Amino acid sequence: MADLKNYNLKELNVRSASRSQRVSKIVGNVITYIFLAVMAVIVIFPFYWMIISSLKTMDEYRANVPTLWPQNIYFENFATAFSKANLKDLFLHTLLVGTISTVLSLVVTVLSAFAFARLQFKGKNVVFGLLMATMMVPGELYTITNYLTVSGRLPFVEEPIQALDFTNTFAVLIFPMLVSVFYIYLLRQTFMQIPNELYLAAKVDGTSDFKYLWKVMLPLSVSTIITITILKMMGAWNAYIWPRLVANDQAHQLITNGLRGASFTDEFGEVNYPAQMAAVTIVSIPLFLIFVFLRKYIMRGVSRSGIKG
Amino acid sequence: MKIVLKNLSKIFPAMGKKNKDVVVAVDNLDIEIPDGKLVGLLGPSGCGKSTTLYMISGLQKPTMGQVFFGDDDVTMLEPEHRGVGLVFQNYALYPHLTVKQNIMFPLQNLKGAEKLSKEEMLRRAQEAADLVQIGDLMERKPNALSGGQQQRVAIARALAKAPRVLLLDEPLSNLDARLRLQTREEIKRIQRETGVTTVFVTHDQEEAMSISDVIVVMKKGVMQQVGEPQKVYDDPGNLFVAQFLGTPPINVFNGKISGGDLYIGDEKIMEVHAEEADRPVTVGIRPEGFIPSEDGVLSGKLRTVEVMGRDCSVVFTNESSQKPSVRAIVDSDIGARFDSTGLVRFNLKRNKVFLFEAETGERIRF
Amino acid sequence: MEDNKDIIQNNDVPERQPLDRKTVIKLNRDIGSKNQLKGWLYLAPALLLLIIFSFYPLINTFRMAFLNGYNGLAIVGGESFNLGVENFKTVIGYVDFKQCLKNTILLCVVTVPISTILALLIAVALNSIKPLQKVFQTVFFLPYVTNSIAIGMVFNAMFTRVGLGDLIQTQGIINNILGLFGIGPFNFVNVGSSWGANMFVVCTYIVWNAIPFKILVLLGGLQNVNKQYYEAAKIDGTSKVRTFFRITIPLVSPMLAYVIITSFIGGFKEYSSIVGIFGEGMGPGGNGQMNTIVGYVYNMLPKSNLGNASAASLILFAIILVVTAINGYVSKKKVHY
Repeated sequence: MADLKNYNLKELNVRSASRSQRVSKIVGNVITYIFLAVMAVIVIFPFYWMIISSLKTMDEYRANVPTLWPQNIYFENFATAFSKANLKDLFLHTLLVGTISTVLSLVVTVLSAFAFARLQFKGKNVVFGLLMATMMVPGELYTITNYLTVSGRLPFVEEPIQALDFTNTFAVLIFPMLVSVFYIYLLRQTFMQIPNELYLAAKVDGTSDFKYLWKVMLPLSVSTIITITILKMMGAWNAYIWPRLVANDQAHQLITNGLRGASFTDEFGEVNYPAQMAAVTIVSIPLFLIFVFLRKYIMRGVSRSGIKG
Repeated sequence: MKIVLKNLSKIFPAMGKKNKDVVVAVDNLDIEIPDGKLVGLLGPSGCGKSTTLYMISGLQKPTMGQVFFGDDDVTMLEPEHRGVGLVFQNYALYPHLTVKQNIMFPLQNLKGAEKLSKEEMLRRAQEAADLVQIGDLMERKPNALSGGQQQRVAIARALAKAPRVLLLDEPLSNLDARLRLQTREEIKRIQRETGVTTVFVTHDQEEAMSISDVIVVMKKGVMQQVGEPQKVYDDPGNLFVAQFLGTPPINVFNGKISGGDLYIGDEKIMEVHAEEADRPVTVGIRPEGFIPSEDGVLSGKLRTVEVMGRDCSVVFTNESSQKPSVRAIVDSDIGARFDSTGLVRFNLKRNKVFLFEAETGERIRF
Repeated sequence: MEDNKDIIQNNDVPERQPLDRKTVIKLNRDIGSKNQLKGWLYLAPALLLLIIFSFYPLINTFRMAFLNGYNGLAIVGGESFNLGVENFKTVIGYVDFKQCLKNTILLCVVTVPISTILALLIAVALNSIKPLQKVFQTVFFLPYVTNSIAIGMVFNAMFTRVGLGDLIQTQGIINNILGLFGIGPFNFVNVGSSWGANMFVVCTYIVWNAIPFKILVLLGGLQNVNKQYYEAAKIDGTSKVRTFFRITIPLVSPMLAYVIITSFIGGFKEYSSIVGIFGEGMGPGGNGQMNTIVGYVYNMLPKSNLGNASAASLILFAIILVVTAINGYVSKKKVHY
């Protein structure tokens, strides 16, 4: 075992080693920062371009040599965007649908999460497993049948039932997407972290399940509730496919559909890009605000799901 | 390889809004660690012992002072150039690599003239594994090993590259009591066999005392005392060292020197020195320093007697004691006499009684 | 609580009988019987909605897909359909569908590796710096919360040229920038642009869009890696490159696997990014050359080609299952612990 001692060790060469380590450290740092800076510019650029384009006049936008900052800031574009894309109505519709579906969704989610987390009943695990399994299924699979269902075309019934045709109503934007298995899962996990002893103690004191849920569990789960609220609101804000299919009329259109559907073409058949960019900026602002102020709540939820909004 | 720490200090900047003060983790440390010895850095948590170890390894750079390996100043040298082996508290075994791959990992880093052939690497890895007696676990992954086995793998990994210095950070803290006993003998044996200068950090004085050639006692970043364990125990430099070493701990009394004699309460304990000025002092008496005697100098009210086989603890109260009770350890056949409640008296072994300045805790030699 | 009272009273019998297993189970069930109902009551709203809008559609999609020639309208005439795989054959036979399948697969194959590698590099770089780390983090997470239609329109604007033929007024900012390096100009998205150019734009957008989520997950993984592994490697003089490949990648491999699986699934469901750039025409001038599987399904719906649409969506489902299974299998082999 004496061998271990006798392996030849490189001589300590203090001076050259410390010089080379200093140089390589600096070089490494410079490369790292340059790489990050370049990537940051690429990531930021579309936002930058969106904002400065929204402030340019059409003439400046079309200039052969692009300007990196608007020569004279032209706020008119935002007014044009509001009128051309009918943004005010779109905002109202989206807010209405978003708020109602968030509130209802929270009620349903809280009740189910509580049942899964705390109540004991036969078949609970089977139902929970079934629900979890549906997370695997892409939503596109449901859309076809749901489209038929809400337009009153039921299976084995010969004709579409007019009375059950809910297309172009707000209800059809709210109910089919109300239950999210993911939210139930998220909230159940939060509920499970609350020690069972609290529940048993409340039972001993004669607290009803509902009161316990309302007074103990919800206050302790506020952050998850906020996460769900934000995700649901963002869902309404970013929803495109389903609304386009079932409620794409003027009276019910949501913001994203309205934005994509709006025509920014002017009387000469040219697309008014600055106005379009202004509309895009307006639609993006609430998301920016959420990102700046409520980022941690979104990240908490989304990093677990891999879905966006 | 001799290690010398010269005026070594590590000061951490203030962190956050709550802690506005800087933290002096290590304060002006001067230690010489002799070649080929097993040295224990000992102190309560937060005393700067781990920081000291990390500064020796190069993972942390000192704020002031120098580190020498032999005659070379390695203070600003990156860890990879120092040739040290470090065993982390939680071992830091790469979870995705087998035992063999873990041990070979440092060898595969060698470049240029030092580059080893595959066979040589395998041979050295096997050798290191055999040394720590895990030669038959080479194909396992760390999470299939017990805590003690992981510890051995970590030591083998640190030894495989034949380090100048072996550093162990709290090597026994993650092991259960039985393994701890076994492993500390193991560390001693490995150090003897390889002869590599070894520094380990621990907060467990028993652990440090039992295997170290030299212990360094630290408190709040300041070195308190260095020496062979038994010497430090028998001759503590201050109250902190006296209190920190020994189980059960030393009994501490408020006493006074008056007319060259030492008093605890009203009882005259022993003559000190005629020239010592009259003043209050702190008196430390080791539990094994008590001799039960009917005409003893120190009295107390018996509380209980705990028989522990070979010897027994006599627990009594004394008004001058800084703790609610005093513990004396005596032979069990003597201890058995204390069967009724009431007063007990002891004579004291002079070499087990230490005097300290009441204010500073400095040792008063007499 | 009330249930418990009964049990206590039952215990008043002077000599307690030894309870056999069946009795114990029965007693416990009695205590829980109220809870049985309560549990289902709490679940009722969610289950009701799920049955109508998830479970029934799932079954119905299979039904429609496996009825030969089903289109949802012919049933009015009392026509009956045979079970079979006719719909699948039809769908796979369509040139359009093949184009969609090709587009979708290519999108995944191109964007998943590029965005994963870029995100890993950025995450590692971010993890290694101290000054400005927070600033860079915020910047890189910025595209995370966006409206993919809206930003798709921005990408369109960046790549699009304004004007026609000789009357082109600006080539678009990307062409302008490429011009600085003496490249281009290209027709990226305007009418008459090539499939390859379109694909380039779409892939760029998807990579840009996918990076923040991946950085987030990978950076989280990196920050959870015990620093002592790196210290141990440093003590042993491990080079940066070797540390990256031998320690960093294996230790974040679970996150890498997660990120790759989710982005493959997302990639196969890609639709709205392309709508953002090209509009519902799914191609320059609405020629549909960039259409995807999901786009194909939705295009079929208003045409009442229900059998075909269902079959197409099931094919999508099958692809996703297979990809997930392959990923899972590979992860098991490659992902450590």
